[in-house]
Amino acid sequence: MNVLSRKTARGVGALVLICLSVTAARAQTATSRIVSAANNFLSTLDAKQRQSVLFAFDDEKQRATWSNLPTSFVPRGGIPLKDMNPAQRSAAMTLVSSALSRKGFEKVRQIMEGDEVLKATDNGQPPRGNNGNQPPGGGPPNGGNRPPFGGPPSGAMFGKDLYYISILGKPSEKEPWMLQFGGHHLALNITIAGERGILTPTLTGAQPALFTSNGKTIRPLGPESDTALALLNALDDNQKKQAILSYKLADLVLGPGQDGKTIQPEGLKASAMNGRQRAMLLDVISQWADIIHESAAAARMAELKADVNETWFAWSGPTTAAPGKNISAYYRIQGPHLVIEYAPQTLGGDPSMHVHTMYRDPTNDYGRGPVAK
Amino acid sequence: MKTKLVATAAILLMLGAGVLAHRLDEYLQAIILSVEKDHVQASMRLIPGVAVASNVLASIDTNGDGIISEAEQRAYAERVLRDLSITVDGKSASPTLVSQKFPAIEEIKAGLGEIQIEFTVELAHGGPERRIVLENHHRNEISVYLMNCLVPRDPDIRIVAQNRNENQSFYQLGYAQAGDSSLPGFWNAWSSFRRRTGGGGFASIFRLGMRHIAEGTDHLLFLLALLLPAPLLALGSRWAGFAGARQSLLKILKVVTAFTIGHSITLALAALGLVRVPSRPIEVLIALSILVSAVHALRPLFPGREALIAAFFGLIHGLAFAATLGELGLGRWERVAGILAFNLGIETMQLIVVAAIMPPLVLISRTRANPFLRIGGALFAGFASLGWFAERLLGIHTSADAAVDSVAHHGVWIAGGLFLLSVVCWLNSRNLPRFWMNSKQRGFLLAAAHRGPRTE
Repeated sequence: MNVLSRKTARGVGALVLICLSVTAARAQTATSRIVSAANNFLSTLDAKQRQSVLFAFDDEKQRATWSNLPTSFVPRGGIPLKDMNPAQRSAAMTLVSSALSRKGFEKVRQIMEGDEVLKATDNGQPPRGNNGNQPPGGGPPNGGNRPPFGGPPSGAMFGKDLYYISILGKPSEKEPWMLQFGGHHLALNITIAGERGILTPTLTGAQPALFTSNGKTIRPLGPESDTALALLNALDDNQKKQAILSYKLADLVLGPGQDGKTIQPEGLKASAMNGRQRAMLLDVISQWADIIHESAAAARMAELKADVNETWFAWSGPTTAAPGKNISAYYRIQGPHLVIEYAPQTLGGDPSMHVHTMYRDPTNDYGRGPVAK
Repeated sequence: MKTKLVATAAILLMLGAGVLAHRLDEYLQAIILSVEKDHVQASMRLIPGVAVASNVLASIDTNGDGIISEAEQRAYAERVLRDLSITVDGKSASPTLVSQKFPAIEEIKAGLGEIQIEFTVELAHGGPERRIVLENHHRNEISVYLMNCLVPRDPDIRIVAQNRNENQSFYQLGYAQAGDSSLPGFWNAWSSFRRRTGGGGFASIFRLGMRHIAEGTDHLLFLLALLLPAPLLALGSRWAGFAGARQSLLKILKVVTAFTIGHSITLALAALGLVRVPSRPIEVLIALSILVSAVHALRPLFPGREALIAAFFGLIHGLAFAATLGELGLGRWERVAGILAFNLGIETMQLIVVAAIMPPLVLISRTRANPFLRIGGALFAGFASLGWFAERLLGIHTSADAAVDSVAHHGVWIAGGLFLLSVVCWLNSRNLPRFWMNSKQRGFLLAAAHRGPRTE
């Protein structure tokens, strides 16, 4: 009996140790995996390329060099995928995917794919794999694929080749550093600070917001639209009255260049929501918070969950959406450590087909918060 | 001309195709305000879409040389500011240009240029509640607007309301400002208890004052009992006839004012913590005050000195008011604002009641029905005060509270009924025939009355 229980205790102890070490190993892997992917990517580059990719960690100019605009208009730092050989390209995408969750990386891939569709439409060719879900208007050729009034000389404005990667600081498991990846409708600013991973500020966007690829309907920012509409529909009339703003919003309020600003929150405060509605609000938030790798996302969601009663939800525009399509309304979620904006664009005629979104932590843009600590 | 047409056609085609990823046919103007203690900092971004870029550019590069000179930059920024109309607390205010930053002309032409203008608006000293209105009239026909304000860095400034029209060209910002040391403590107190009471501080304490006097029936009963014999003349140890309308009104006014002065003094002293009296003896003294005025209504105890008595007992009633105010737990300076609000509430309710009771009181005093009202009222007040005495002094439960409450509860009906009754009594007491006789008949009657004594 005594021997048996001692054996059992030892077995349980061993199991606990194994579990703990596995957990510890997994917790470590997030940052160390990203660091080794970064070092691997850098090792594929030649000296000149490496020089173009690397910036000082505190390079404020490069930090803020991101935009929703095509790269031909707003040149990003770093090097684009189009200037890489297949091995470098694959190493770059492995690095990006190592810092993101599976869901997050898939979203990034879809945004890039969408830009490829836009490029095909722009050239007047039938978009690849597009079986008729073109943006409204059918996409007649616009001649030389040149922006009017003398845009940049390059014919290439869109497409998945035109995404840039840059690294600020030295990839490290202890010291903070940053990975940037972005182009048209995408700006990932990922700060790695020890075990922590910070995704703010990050911009996602989509045009077309709905397309088909290999027979599959794709909406890169579909969940962002659907979960928010579901939350709005779950509100009662009185709550809706508070949540729905009386004025129009044509664009992001805190878009590129508006770092660190906290505007006066408006709309419906989550303390006036019931438990189910608050869970739905967190579900909307997680569409952005979960883009980063799982352990960083879990930490971030825990922080946002603790703030939830101080979090506001505001809506402006139509309160319905055509089945299977995105909303054409603007919405904003704002809390002590959070600003999310979802801003449909009238450009293109159908606001449900073109959207810019912003994900921020005004107290911790570019990981300034934990770095300062 | 031809190239312009081609370009426009190209834009329209692209619009149809939905290809361009940037702003097209709108001029986006975004303003973010930041409210500080003595000024507003504003940053403005102006982004002309590609289809309106040449239009906008024409008003920037005014000499058309393809270069945006320093002078042109400044002139355009100043023009934009002139197109804003700003008021602070209803007074017109003008913005001061701090800086302007222009993109390259090519960027503007491509619909990507962002013009940045920083400006400030000076804020004169104002009250604790302030309002800034900003209207943007710049290029209304092609523009879309965004108007916002930052969460104030100064913890003493709190945004209360933001209102906009649908396209945000009109923006109204309401905010509360506290803790300005150059303002008297009173204002701080006011906004501080506004915060405490969720915005409606003054109003809510005012209402509390009104409710206190309406529900605290002992105060009203004292006053009304004291007013019962007000329109009468004292003749020795008895109440004699009507003293005249003017005389009555003057007396009522004196009594009410004296009561107000009395209770205001002690309310202020006690609320500020300068006087501290236990509440039990005060409650007993209040019951005594009612008894005294009830007896006085039966037999004149202090004819002509009612105002003095009202002021004296007012001092005691004020101490009771202070206890109610004390329950709110306001700070010392907050109390000053609280006292004012509370007292105004009491005064308002008091005047409403007196205004309702006075006309029937004066009317009935001119009739033979007067003793019934006076004695009835005095007895009611007397018994109520005896009930309260027993309750407050001896701890015996009586139905005084319930009885008075039920009367007070039907106060409006009782006042209305009293008014009707007084009108009826008054009409009855007059030479009624007057109303349905013509002048000739009346003259005859009067002549007959005149002849009356001469019995022949």
